[in-house]
Amino acid sequence: MGYLDALRNITIADIKVDLMRTAYDNDNALLNKFDPRVVIIWAAIFVIVPWFFYEPEPLFAMLVAALLLAYLSQTSIYLLALLIWGSLTNIGFIVVLSSVVYWWQGGSGGLRGAVVDNSVALLPFTLKLTVISVVSLAAFSAMSPKKLAKGLLSLGVPRPFTFAIAYGYRMMPVLLEEYHDLVNSLRLRNKAPENRGLLRWRYFLYLLKLSIKAFYPMAFNVAKRSRVTVEAMETKGFSHSLGDEASRALRLGDLEIQPRDVSFVTVSLLFVVVVAVYL
Amino acid sequence: MSTKQITVENLTFRYPGSDDPVLQNTNVHIDTDEFTAIVGGNGSGKTTLCKTFNGLVPHFFNGTFEGSVRVDGTETTDSDVSALSRTVGYVFQDFENQLVQPVVRDDVAFAPKNHGLADYETRAQQALETVGLGDAADRFIWELSGGQQHLVALAGVLAMDPEFIIVDEPAAQLDPHNARETYEQLQEIQRETDVGVIVIEHHTEFIADYCDRLVMVADGDVAWTEPVDVGLNHVDELLAEDIHPPQVTQIARELPDDRGRLPNGRYPVTVDQAARCFRTVADGQRRRATPDGRGSGDRLISVSDVTHGYPTLREGRKTVLESFDLELYADDRVALVGANGAGKSTLLRLLTGLESPDDGTVTVLGQDTNETLPEELADETVYIHQNPEEMFVEETVREDIAYYLKSREVPDTDQRVDDVISFLDLEDIADRDGRLLSLGQQRRASLAIGLATDPSIVLLDEPTGSLDLQSRREVTRMLSRSDSRTETVVIATHDLQLVAAWADRVIVLGPNGILADEPAQAVFEQPELLQQANLRPPQVVGLSERLGVESPALTVSELVDQLTAAEVR
Repeated sequence: MGYLDALRNITIADIKVDLMRTAYDNDNALLNKFDPRVVIIWAAIFVIVPWFFYEPEPLFAMLVAALLLAYLSQTSIYLLALLIWGSLTNIGFIVVLSSVVYWWQGGSGGLRGAVVDNSVALLPFTLKLTVISVVSLAAFSAMSPKKLAKGLLSLGVPRPFTFAIAYGYRMMPVLLEEYHDLVNSLRLRNKAPENRGLLRWRYFLYLLKLSIKAFYPMAFNVAKRSRVTVEAMETKGFSHSLGDEASRALRLGDLEIQPRDVSFVTVSLLFVVVVAVYL
Repeated sequence: MSTKQITVENLTFRYPGSDDPVLQNTNVHIDTDEFTAIVGGNGSGKTTLCKTFNGLVPHFFNGTFEGSVRVDGTETTDSDVSALSRTVGYVFQDFENQLVQPVVRDDVAFAPKNHGLADYETRAQQALETVGLGDAADRFIWELSGGQQHLVALAGVLAMDPEFIIVDEPAAQLDPHNARETYEQLQEIQRETDVGVIVIEHHTEFIADYCDRLVMVADGDVAWTEPVDVGLNHVDELLAEDIHPPQVTQIARELPDDRGRLPNGRYPVTVDQAARCFRTVADGQRRRATPDGRGSGDRLISVSDVTHGYPTLREGRKTVLESFDLELYADDRVALVGANGAGKSTLLRLLTGLESPDDGTVTVLGQDTNETLPEELADETVYIHQNPEEMFVEETVREDIAYYLKSREVPDTDQRVDDVISFLDLEDIADRDGRLLSLGQQRRASLAIGLATDPSIVLLDEPTGSLDLQSRREVTRMLSRSDSRTETVVIATHDLQLVAAWADRVIVLGPNGILADEPAQAVFEQPELLQQANLRPPQVVGLSERLGVESPALTVSELVDQLTAAEVR
């Protein structure tokens, strides 16, 4: 049952560690080195920029650049794969559907021609979606929660929201652990299907059901924990800090835009200009 | 330094929607120059009382509040929670949920920052150094052990430079070793800095060793406040609230002719006092350790040459077990003991098949776990999680108990579920949601879930968790009930009282594998071995050693018998 082992041991534990690395280990991530406000604004610009291009070549260049940035920012391979798989299947579905409709309506060139035509037509759109997903993923997963919260706070986002980000990061490992434990607990009390079917599909369907069933208890347990958290927040002076200017000043004190922030934005914009002119 | 006071006068408090007051006409006075312990049965109102000190009652929990609580001269009703928390720090019982920032340093600095204190960085660093975590400042909270997380919560409180610190049941969520370290930390803080420390505690052995004053809360009122030595002598009153006096006090009370009394007429409460009070037993009654169960039955489980670990964020794969060999036989009562991180839980999970070893083989009842699904192994094996919460997936305890039987389409499911429920006296909670029960009740319910499966191998991970006395009783009952069919039981535990009373084979795990694999008696004869594994023998073992009994008594009654017999001769 070798590959099953791989599936239940290595992958679950490794995916967990990989996700944790994306979320927590940002010390060397490129995008974490800049001022958080700059990164947030930069990401906002680059979510819009791809929509001004209509040819596949410049978009492709942008995708390469975005992937490079994602790599330098230590974005999770699993998340990237999931994201790209998501856009491909989504677009793939549209291609298949529209082609079948075209062919069925008696369009010229047959089914195969329709698929090719539609794919080409949808390519820029796919690329745009992928570029903005990769860019935002890279930016937001690279920044440490503290930086991200600080950046948003200084841009005027209310403090309860920025606190929620830091708290979310604090809770994520707890959630993962809780979920894994619950799935395991369910497995020890269930019976796996005896007839596993072709490629074990029954077995995987059964695992899928368990993983869905574990969600509710997980949400319940985590919600229960937060009762104490709310009390503790009160004792730690959280509500006091909401209206306290001194506290806000401390929180934002060391934010400063430095030359490297400026050069980062300049280089990115130059890149876009070069792409626009030459490709 | 002048002392500060908390003064409670004629306090009555009723939670909204409840007819009976939690606290009724309560009066108590607590000083900063003492280490105070508050004891009381479940629901006696001790936690509510402590929450009046920092204003959570009545500012956060609104209710009917009469009387007065003054903290260092300030009437709590005239202040608010965040202001009062600068004077009174609170470490909650489930302290993990008190930590709200991902990084240690940020969490400790959280409160000072909220209060706009410019020196928050120095405060955080100092607080961390006080609790001995100076070099963990940049680590993530989730990377720390439970004991370290508790210290972070404590540091978060210290960073505000409070006059009082309240710690709610430190021993309930920590293993005994960490609980003891926490107590030492608290004692030092109290002595060095004149901060008043208040703990809510059930475990009288900690109270006897570390605290100065004992406040007894019963039925919403402070029954009495006494110095610890005197207070712990009110044995009957303590027992009436389900609080067990220290083992040495129990022994002293059992000895005939008041022989257990100290010159001042009281019973001893610490091993030290008892050792001075009881006469040394001239040995000569050395008992032979009973031979262990190895080889007496069939081999049920074999772990051979197993290397196993888990991936970590920064340090690659961490190996927990290396070239590990172990065989377990029918009729073994195995206790797996050892420091945190020695691999006790990992070993149990390997036996369930939830994890398969990186290297080597684990065979359970002739099935290689590499080749078998955990669901199939669960036909004969039951594993009870150390955190009982993870065992509840249905909406009532009854459904949770039936879950296993239903998924396996066992014919008389309802009958069996009813049997188990009545055996463990769960009738009153059977139709409630398991996740909303108290920890003690959850533990009992989780034992019921295990018992219903009628297994031949039982794996229990920390069944008495926090050394809670009632759950120890329930575990023992469950074990006796399952004796008929069960062939072997493996318990991973810190609870050496349970080990002393129950196990016949003790496996001590150290950082490099098995340190010892011997009968319980033999293990308790080697104090250095226990120390190596971060374990502390029960008082009765420590005392018999101090009294010169060469083969230590393992239970209170055993030592009472030995002491009585020695006197007669």
